[in-house]
Amino acid sequence: MPILPTSPYCTIGPFFPGQFVTGCQDLTSFQGKKARGQHIVLTGRVVEEGNQPILNAIVEIWQPDANGVFRHPLDPRFPEADPGFFGWGRARTDVQGRYSFRTIMPGASHGYAGHGARCPHLNLMLLAIGLTHRLVTTVFFAEKPDSVGDPVLDCVTDPVLRGRMLARRESDGNGAADVPVYRYDIVTRGESETPFFVE
Amino acid sequence: MDAIKQDKLETSEVEYSPYQENTQLARYIKGYPRSFTRNPLQPLIERPLTLSEITGPVALDQRLAISAEDMARLTPDGPRAIGQYIEVTGRVVDEDGAPLAGSMIEIWQANSAGRYIHEMDRHEAPIDPNFTGLGRFVTDAEGCYKFRSLKPGAYPVTESEWWWRPPHIHFSIFGPSWMNRFITQIFFPGEPLNETDLLLNAVQDPEARDRLIFQTTPTLVGAVNFLAFRRDFVLRGKHHTPALP
Repeated sequence: MPILPTSPYCTIGPFFPGQFVTGCQDLTSFQGKKARGQHIVLTGRVVEEGNQPILNAIVEIWQPDANGVFRHPLDPRFPEADPGFFGWGRARTDVQGRYSFRTIMPGASHGYAGHGARCPHLNLMLLAIGLTHRLVTTVFFAEKPDSVGDPVLDCVTDPVLRGRMLARRESDGNGAADVPVYRYDIVTRGESETPFFVE
Repeated sequence: MDAIKQDKLETSEVEYSPYQENTQLARYIKGYPRSFTRNPLQPLIERPLTLSEITGPVALDQRLAISAEDMARLTPDGPRAIGQYIEVTGRVVDEDGAPLAGSMIEIWQANSAGRYIHEMDRHEAPIDPNFTGLGRFVTDAEGCYKFRSLKPGAYPVTESEWWWRPPHIHFSIFGPSWMNRFITQIFFPGEPLNETDLLLNAVQDPEARDRLIFQTTPTLVGAVNFLAFRRDFVLRGKHHTPALP
């Protein structure tokens, strides 16, 4: 059977509706149920060349639940997926380039398809004016000691680049210590550029 | 999980090849300044595709509200928005041509005067009180979608001295995996501004460029006649179908 040519990607442009973002930054409940596991805040700045903030970028994430189960039929543990966790979120950057999600610390998950286990991580994509394609990367969590041997993280061999894929826990100084804050900045271009994957 | 699906996982039958450059927009576009300040300098890194990448948000209608099929009025009996009424249909398939059922489609567009309802839009054209320009739909078992709206107007790009965007509708589509999450803009056939649009013309191959343009189909005749357009989408990936819910 002939393989059909894929449709061309195009930029999201400046006018992605705010209504499509409202409510999507919070992943910690689904269908009236609260997500299991450690709730966290994932936040950071998105900047371009010259460390200039990118306003009005759209950030989307996809991750497994606290037990590492994806809400998707390809996951053999799909029936065990946390009924209070959907796993997808979307946020928009403000004038400082800042985005923020409230989500849960993902569990270690199966690699499958011939790959080893994955350490806790979430998939992240970025859409903005000037980008005709999305940029995709993976966010890992620095304090997890098993951040070694992950088949995707291991594609990035330079320790400096690996360091740019780690969300780092911020000190608890804001009185909300029960919800730890993890910081993950995204540099699309320039010094300390974030590693992005082939699309 | 039944044995067939388990088999598919172990043999990794769901396949995603990188996008072919000649079917896609260039990343750097002369006259589109932000493409030169935002695209990464470093080469993109190859990675294996594990369960995490070949899954993705499905059944999004459990998470996001679906709209009424007719966007050209706010309520079923309400006044019509101003403009040329259109009906848009099409099908979402993978590279095998297999239907991608249950795919969420988000669309957003300007009104007939070329104005979006968005805080970033500083165009002086009027807002139409009967038109929001946004909709959410889900493909049926055959991968088909359908909505009614109105033809968007052209509008000037604020930061350019000459660039007017031709009429277009934005599509955001959630395929069955993170690998084929898809965003694009679809243009109308025969528009003079299509000739100079920096984004549409960033696709080198004319056949690939045509995949960003609606096809005209016979006008839909009824109480109100709708100009009819069609656009099918091919999302990246092969061998999806058996795994879908």
